[in-house]
Amino acid sequence: MAGTVIGAGLTIEGDISGEEEIVINGILRGRLTTTDAVTVGGSAVVGADITGASLSVAGQVTGDVTATERVDIQAGGKLVGDIKAARFTIADGASFKGNVDMEV
Amino acid sequence: MAETSVIGAGTVVSGHIRGEGSLEILGRVEGDISVTGSVAIGPAGRVRGNVSASQLTVAGQVQGDLHGSLAVLLEPGARVAGDISAPRVGIAPGALARGHVQTDAEPAALARPAAQPFVRPAPQPVARPAQQPAVRPQQPAVRPDPQPAARPAVPQPAARPAAPLRANVPPPKAEPIPPAPLASPPAPKAPPPRPELRSDLRKADAPKLAPAPATSGPGSGEFAPVRPLKPEPRRPPPPVVPVIRKGTKAKKKKSHD
Repeated sequence: MAGTVIGAGLTIEGDISGEEEIVINGILRGRLTTTDAVTVGGSAVVGADITGASLSVAGQVTGDVTATERVDIQAGGKLVGDIKAARFTIADGASFKGNVDMEV
Repeated sequence: MAETSVIGAGTVVSGHIRGEGSLEILGRVEGDISVTGSVAIGPAGRVRGNVSASQLTVAGQVQGDLHGSLAVLLEPGARVAGDISAPRVGIAPGALARGHVQTDAEPAALARPAAQPFVRPAPQPVARPAQQPAVRPQQPAVRPDPQPAARPAVPQPAARPAAPLRANVPPPKAEPIPPAPLASPPAPKAPPPRPELRSDLRKADAPKLAPAPATSGPGSGEFAPVRPLKPEPRRPPPPVVPVIRKGTKAKKKKSHD
């Protein structure tokens, strides 16, 4: 089980930082920093800059993303912001707007 | 929808958390928390901020106020610095709490004093129809406690009722401050017996009451001190101020050196 779960219906306004996996199904406004994986669920709305090992987006994300490993935008996911990651995939049906930097 | 959210042991949230569902805090939160479900703060959990939930279980550390719409439970090892309010509050042995604890819903506590004025004015107009100005009702309402007890033993009805009447003249100055605190404590006991006692006694005293103001001129000096005595016991004692302020000793020592 993930270390931190922000359930649907929950809203966090502020910063989240940690050293474990973070799953977001609710609403986050602020900043998100972790050394582990970040998962943005289908019902999530995130307005935050995200830093982590990897990022998987199935919901909506607005903000810049920095990942040491990879970023994946799932079908139905939406990401607006600049991405800096070694590996980056956009699934069919996902939407993305921003700059990509894969020179990590 | 009511999914349980978890703030993991290695996670720090600095900001407000609010919404529906339950929340389990194993890490650190610096900010206010307000959720509709239950909140559990684990042994390693730390919260700096006010927490509001339906059921609140604390085994970790909280610096802030706790409010539970159902209950607040402090488990062994919990450390809470802040006020606690909930219909049910449980503090287990081994838990540490510092702050004000209220085991009653706040709205109910506020409603009680508000209800009292309604009970009070009713008997008064019957007892003293003509004499009462608008300010009056509170004054006699507070008094009856000592009166009924004293009456049967000491048969001085003329002197007793005189006090309320005389008090009647200056009260506008004295009263506005005390009525609220005075009114609240006797409320639950006082109202039921008073109406009968009062109306009976009033009728008997009524003729004596009328002349009282005229004769009270000389007597007022004697009874004047009675008035200030009454509000006193109900007021909380003045705060104890430390004679020596923190650090003065150190300063003295330093100055000696």
